[in-house]
Amino acid sequence: MAKASSTPSTWARSEPMEDAFQTEAQWYDGTNALRHEGKLTWDGHGGFRLAGPTSEQAFATEDLRYAETRRGKLVYRRESIPDFRLILPDDLPAGLAAQLPRKSEYGAWVDKLGLGRAAAIFGAASAAAVALFLTAPAWLGPRIPESWERNIGHAMIGDFGGRLCETPAGTAALDKLVAKVDPGKVKVRAGVANMGMINAVALPGGQVLLFDGLVQQAESPEELAGVLGHEVGHVRERHVMTALLRQFGLSILLAGTDSRVTNSVFGLASMGYSREAEREADDYARARMAESDISPLGAAGFFDRLAKETGEDEDTPALVGWIASHPSSAERAKAYRSSARKGKTYPPVLTEEEFAALKSMCEDDPDVEEFDLF
Amino acid sequence: MEYDNNGQGDDSAFAFEGDWREFAKIAFPNLLLTVVTLGIYRFWATARERRYLWSRTRFVDEHLEWAGTGMELFLGFVMVMILFGVPYFGMTFIAQALIARGYEALGVALGFIALTSIFYLGGVARFRALRYRLSRTRWRGIRGGSDSNGFLFGLSYMWKTIVGTLPLGLLIPWSMTSLWNERWSKMSFGPFEFESDAEPGEVFARFLLFYLAPFVFFVGGVVMAGMGTLAGYGIGGEDGMAIGGIAAIIGLVLFFYLGLGLIAVAFYAKFYRVVVGSTRWRDLHFSFEASTRDWVKLLVVDAVLVVFTFGIGLIFLSYRHWKFFMTHLEAGGEILLDELTQSETRTAKHGEGLLDAFDMGAF
Repeated sequence: MAKASSTPSTWARSEPMEDAFQTEAQWYDGTNALRHEGKLTWDGHGGFRLAGPTSEQAFATEDLRYAETRRGKLVYRRESIPDFRLILPDDLPAGLAAQLPRKSEYGAWVDKLGLGRAAAIFGAASAAAVALFLTAPAWLGPRIPESWERNIGHAMIGDFGGRLCETPAGTAALDKLVAKVDPGKVKVRAGVANMGMINAVALPGGQVLLFDGLVQQAESPEELAGVLGHEVGHVRERHVMTALLRQFGLSILLAGTDSRVTNSVFGLASMGYSREAEREADDYARARMAESDISPLGAAGFFDRLAKETGEDEDTPALVGWIASHPSSAERAKAYRSSARKGKTYPPVLTEEEFAALKSMCEDDPDVEEFDLF
Repeated sequence: MEYDNNGQGDDSAFAFEGDWREFAKIAFPNLLLTVVTLGIYRFWATARERRYLWSRTRFVDEHLEWAGTGMELFLGFVMVMILFGVPYFGMTFIAQALIARGYEALGVALGFIALTSIFYLGGVARFRALRYRLSRTRWRGIRGGSDSNGFLFGLSYMWKTIVGTLPLGLLIPWSMTSLWNERWSKMSFGPFEFESDAEPGEVFARFLLFYLAPFVFFVGGVVMAGMGTLAGYGIGGEDGMAIGGIAAIIGLVLFFYLGLGLIAVAFYAKFYRVVVGSTRWRDLHFSFEASTRDWVKLLVVDAVLVVFTFGIGLIFLSYRHWKFFMTHLEAGGEILLDELTQSETRTAKHGEGLLDAFDMGAF
């Protein structure tokens, strides 16, 4: 197959340059499976001629496209007749080879650049894209308008369909507490969830939930103010949006393996913060409490109890969720205690009655639903 | 041109003439480019691999050609993501939001619809993958294809799979053969359609092995465990008995998993012999002669190749599988080249059907 043409050509034109510009050829015309054999000749001015006993045709050089390489053969097709196939031996005379379209190997871009350079350029671009993708939540999160976040949060979780505890007196007490730790014009929406776990979460859309378990074990309203201030801090410092973006990015990466993307609203809200973010939220809470004259000693007492209950190695399961993602409780208790001003007497943040109303809110709400969906 | 050969050897209708060293020169740059492009190059990598494998495959007196491109696979992927991925994402999001708002039933129903549509599209994709491969395969300039878009096949796929599985899985041989027949009967090469009339009865006996297996294994296992324990006792008294017992239990578990795997391989070996043997095209009949032993050898060497190269061997699996497929595929009969004209299936008239590239593995 790979031998050069030496037999006399089957057509009449015979020029001295002929051998350099012609070769044996096989072709299929794309309309049926019959194989034609003959010669391919470059006509010297921008065209090819195919001629054999069973078929003859002429076409422009730029109509020819490279298709593939077989062992010892090159395959071309025609742009105007995509099913046409021309098969040539791969030891082409130089003159003819110069007229044929260039081989393509990897794809247009890589062929143009060369494998090594293309790999280096793609590698650099990919590294930059990965870096951008990994850091995007941190710098993009705080720049997303709060109103957008509220809409996203509303779309994701809405109003919990009646699973929040509500009584007139309890709600009023909670609102009073929120007003003291959240200076924003549009207040964070806070609620007490009918759930026995000792936990609190900040959710997308400026929504904070205290779990009834946490409210029940609180010994003073100052403790609740501390926890509430901390979660409001997550909202105001835009940690929630950052975590949401991180989760979203992860879900894109994992889209191939697991598409249940939105399943872990709570997972994201309660576990998605870095220790640094936790510290920021604590700082935020202490600053607001100082502004509003709330004693930080209540919160310090709360962390003392947490530290004692969890101890060195005996974990109290209900508390693990809160502990795992936060700085050590003893350290936090110390930070809160040292933020108290010596000799100052703080007024109680809620009255006895208000605190009691908050505590009995879930018990007193006649039509609250069980929080059992997760 | 007349062709009739069902034996192995050089004059088999299908022959694979590839060389793994040649393939390595394609596979390693592919791996490099796929890594540095975070996987985007894999569409072009797939096209390059197939171009090589097809070009080294001879059918009778001419090599096959893969005419598909990386770009069309990439665009197909993007289209599928936009047309199906985004709506699916939206539906699961809404389902979750509904559940959070307390409309559990509605949310669950929506989630169910999302899952059902994935099931349905899985069937459509199996059809389209085969159609895509046939339409990009050239032999003597002629290609294959299908006039069906696969949407009806998706429905068949759903109901036949469900009906096949419901009676304790007993009708799975029926659903598998029937879906094979349905899929291939809608495919064509050149002007002629494929025909397939595989009978589920021929694979049913092999399928029953799945049901007998636990029983056989249990009895065999108990005997083995007893013997192992006794042997342990013989060697080292009480302690030896305990060790013998543990070894027997480990052996039993391995035996169980390997045994079930072996039955699955035995079933698939028989299944492919039957369904390929029942498939015809014009005056050509096909056969696929891989025995269970051949399949086991293929899979074991696959595993060894991947494990001992720390995963790099993965890039050679497509080569090995294609070679296996082509080595065992035979054809006999007659092809009249004069009447083998170009396919008039839709792909040609309307350019590249992008959704064809919803390509998941055709065979």
